[in-house]
Amino acid sequence: MPDWKKIVREKLGTLPLTNGRRDEVIEELAQQLESAYEEALAQGINEQEAMQRSLAQFKDWERLRCEVFQSVEGARLPVWEQNGAFSPRRWPVWIALGLSALLFALPTFRQALEMIPLPGSYPEPPSSQILSDAALRRVEHSGDKQKYARALAFVALHSPKEDDERAVQAAEKAIALDPQLTWIAAKISHATYLYPGYDPHPWIERLKAWDPQNGFAYMLEADANFHWWETPWTKYSATPGGLRAALAAEPRWRISMEKAFAAPRIDFYDAQQFALDRQVLLEQGFDRPEMLLAAGWSQPVPVLMLISFYIDIQLKDIGETAEKAGRTDDALAAYWSVVRFGERLKAEPMDTAQTYSNKLRRDAYKHILPLLRSNGRAAEASAVESALAALPRFDYSVEPSYFSLEAMGNRSARVIVVSAILVALLGTATILWLIFVIALKWNADFSRPFNRLASSLCFAPPALLLASIALFLGYYPYARSIAQFHSYKDLEYGYAPVLVGLYNVTRFGNLNDVWLSHMFWPSVWCAAVALVGAGLLWWMRDRPRPDHPDAA
Amino acid sequence: MAIASDRELKKGNAELLILALLEEKARHGYEIGKLIAERSEGVLRFHVASLYPLLYRLERRGWIKGEWEPAGGRRRRYYRLTPTGRKILAEQRSRWRAFSGAVNRIVEAGAAHHSAASYSMEAQHA
Repeated sequence: MPDWKKIVREKLGTLPLTNGRRDEVIEELAQQLESAYEEALAQGINEQEAMQRSLAQFKDWERLRCEVFQSVEGARLPVWEQNGAFSPRRWPVWIALGLSALLFALPTFRQALEMIPLPGSYPEPPSSQILSDAALRRVEHSGDKQKYARALAFVALHSPKEDDERAVQAAEKAIALDPQLTWIAAKISHATYLYPGYDPHPWIERLKAWDPQNGFAYMLEADANFHWWETPWTKYSATPGGLRAALAAEPRWRISMEKAFAAPRIDFYDAQQFALDRQVLLEQGFDRPEMLLAAGWSQPVPVLMLISFYIDIQLKDIGETAEKAGRTDDALAAYWSVVRFGERLKAEPMDTAQTYSNKLRRDAYKHILPLLRSNGRAAEASAVESALAALPRFDYSVEPSYFSLEAMGNRSARVIVVSAILVALLGTATILWLIFVIALKWNADFSRPFNRLASSLCFAPPALLLASIALFLGYYPYARSIAQFHSYKDLEYGYAPVLVGLYNVTRFGNLNDVWLSHMFWPSVWCAAVALVGAGLLWWMRDRPRPDHPDAA
Repeated sequence: MAIASDRELKKGNAELLILALLEEKARHGYEIGKLIAERSEGVLRFHVASLYPLLYRLERRGWIKGEWEPAGGRRRRYYRLTPTGRKILAEQRSRWRAFSGAVNRIVEAGAAHHSAASYSMEAQHA
């Protein structure tokens, strides 16, 4: 005869019942097994099969253990006594927790979490402010204290528009410490947009004096003078031809554009700004590619529409007019000035500048080619034809490789967002689980609700590890230190696709702008009211109606 | 009297079966499980793994009381109804009768209507 008590004791394991109740339960369950065994033997079944049949009555001993405890004590089995797959007694749960903590310690993983755009987080597109006010003040303070020009220049470049005085002061101090940083005057001038009450010219003059060979300063001057001229502009026809003619007659704008066209080189200082932003962000402990990318948004770029007007003046008003008048050399001179300007613009690494350079050179060549042919200058025409054919047909919007990068970025962004939401929820659940479990380890009778919650949340640590791995893998293709990026273009191709995808995924139809700011608290209140209402209905459910005889 | 919800009914049925079996006399767990299967002619089968937790729960509520008594050369834990358990049994039985009576009236009325209609159609064919 098997020792049924021993079998039950072994299979049931620890059963923390008090006052000898544990032994009683074991004895009673052993009797159940013994009776079933004896009955099977009486039916002529052999001992081994009878034993198997008897034991088959209790398939899940762990569940039986939990249910017996709950029935006897009226409470869940203490979490530290549970043997479930995810109970704190199981070491894989703690390994999962440790691995999650290790992932959190990885800079790549934190970078993935930090890039999630949340309301109030930085950077906030399309603003040039990439750091919070407090962080920017810290940078400014350390720059002031250490007399560090590059930190001050960073503050000047990335101060919010509303805090212009601070930007100006920081720029003055930065340039005084290191005159090689005078290029930041391009940003401080605010020349590319109308800024009421602000005169951009002193800064532009400073830039011209510091870098006289660069056409960029003259383009900024033309932009600033155009804004100055905006009020009288309204009286002209809105048609491009009318506006172009009016602009051509405006010397303050035209002379600046002529100088920009004649300048030996064009440099928007993006290499300088990239190097400065990357260096200061790294020094300040912000190794975050999305911040560096957003830093590039503050880079001043001349107004392309105005350059187009000037190109049209050269090609149509001067070139075509001279061509019609039979002044071939004058016409060619105007056309070639556009080509040369395009070539200088080509040196600028920005995609926009390169696309624009290609476009205006193509337009100019298309004017030059028939003119040379009609004048019998076949050799020159052939050279121009080759130059025209060699122009890359780059179009940013239909570039196949960028499309595939964008599609890949969107896919990764979805994985990142879903995983990040899960990491946030499961991370919270894991922290609560950890608090409850530690409290209950310290004192098993600490709190029944704590024990219930700890038991319910035991899935959180392993699930957190899975969500963290998904986040890590989703972000890994884009995980790089900003020190590994060498230009804004590098960032645009290597990082921007996933960042843009992330903003598209998380926007949910302007969720950040409208829903969270206007609907968050009303929704919380509605949910609270709904909960109270549901609770009252539940309470009222079994109450007799006032007109019911039982109500009395 | 309102009929309890489906979930309560299922939960209550298991309790009702045990309380009803203990009304006659004190019984031990093995006997209770066997009797449920025998008296229902095999229609109702009580999973043994659920039986003991349920017995302990009823005991904790004070509806039944378990005591060790000698039986066939060994001791067994016998359960008997307490006065509270007897009151609960009366309530649950009354509720069950109301419920099963209501169901029967509907089901049997439908069957009677079906029989009458079949008879009428057969008569017409004849």
